Amino acid sequence: MPSDFTRITSPRGAARPVSTPTPSTRDTHDWTREMIAVARLRDRGSFMRIYDHFMPRLCLYLRGLGSPEAVAEELSQEALLRLWQRAAMYDPQQGAVSTWLFRIGRNLHIDRVRREPGWVQVLEDACQGTDEELARPFTSAEDYAEHVHLQRRIEELPAVQARLMRMSYFEAKSHQEIADELDMPLGTVKSHLRRAFLRLQGQVRGQS
Amino acid sequence: MNPHHHLDPSTLLSYAAGALTVEMAIVAATHLETCPHCRARVEEAECIGGQLIEHQQPGPGAPDEGQRAVLREAMLRRLDDEPVVVAPPPPRAAPYEADDRLPAPLHPYFGTSYRALKWRWMAPGVHCIRAAGTPTGTLLMLKIGPGRSMPVHSHGGTELTQILRGAYHDALGHFAPGDVADLDGDVEHQPVTVPGVACICVSALDAPLRFPGWLAQRLQPLFKL
Repeated sequence: MPSDFTRITSPRGAARPVSTPTPSTRDTHDWTREMIAVARLRDRGSFMRIYDHFMPRLCLYLRGLGSPEAVAEELSQEALLRLWQRAAMYDPQQGAVSTWLFRIGRNLHIDRVRREPGWVQVLEDACQGTDEELARPFTSAEDYAEHVHLQRRIEELPAVQARLMRMSYFEAKSHQEIADELDMPLGTVKSHLRRAFLRLQGQVRGQS
Repeated sequence: MNPHHHLDPSTLLSYAAGALTVEMAIVAATHLETCPHCRARVEEAECIGGQLIEHQQPGPGAPDEGQRAVLREAMLRRLDDEPVVVAPPPPRAAPYEADDRLPAPLHPYFGTSYRALKWRWMAPGVHCIRAAGTPTGTLLMLKIGPGRSMPVHSHGGTELTQILRGAYHDALGHFAPGDVADLDGDVEHQPVTVPGVACICVSALDAPLRFPGWLAQRLQPLFKL
């Protein structure tokens, strides 16, 4: 059953699909395997398959955050080139390809478009993975099957939770902005997001 | 440092999504620097973000067929480029004594050294520095003398406070360096700092503080929060 997550409402009010209407778990691709081929063999075919899938999606993501078209394209290219150039550092135990690209895209946007210093560095440091104490409860989530589970869980979120997640991730709206826009008490916004996160985490960590 | 008070899941999620106001993000980043538990949660939220992007259906807003072909060609040409040498991160050990060094996320707003902070008197026993150059809400550093009781207050919005030095307690518990208080608007509290050492904390507010009571209301203009 397609959930609310299969539609995204653009700021202009036009609905656009964010996921296939059929359960998208079916087309979950094993990007980790492609990325290992890029990391070990510099396999251009594998890289370009990653590129062809993620490039338009990153562009769409960055435009949703407010980047103009040309900037979104430039940053997406840069994000994917970084993936190619730093492929040797890729460790499937430390994050899915999609997680890596999400981070790079978001950080580029915050650095170059919003120009907010001070907090991206912490995230990037945290991603270096050199710190022994950095617990990585997510390692199993990089497993293909885990991703299928997470995707299903996302699709099964209640409509209001899905909507608030979308406004957070795809429009970078703060709790207060969401509260104002939906005329919802701030506390309600937070408790919906809290519940959505805990719900998805429960699944991802293998506790249903 | 092993924090006992953590960021709310809704704060962690919005941090990972890049959706916190910059002031909240700075305080959250300051906490994350000291908190492996919350860093792991942020990674989980980032994994969700990756999944959302992966399963987006490119529609209007994504480059059209022709533009994609152009960009694809450009990418293929760049695969042979010399990789950009990534500058190593600046060494954490700075020309300051370790215990004089402010957490890295605060550097752009407050400088790097505790000793160099230029405190302004705000109320008896309370000093403050307001960060310049943040667009919304308020980001401020507070220094509250030992054994002081702050006026009872609540918040119109969210208060996010990271303890840097000293400690305080209130109805929610004991807050020591590394701990963060992630408070909703409906929480009314009266922090009391522990004796012996001043409490230094960094706070982000997204709405003015509210002080009930006549004394507190007289303080309100002083705080200008």
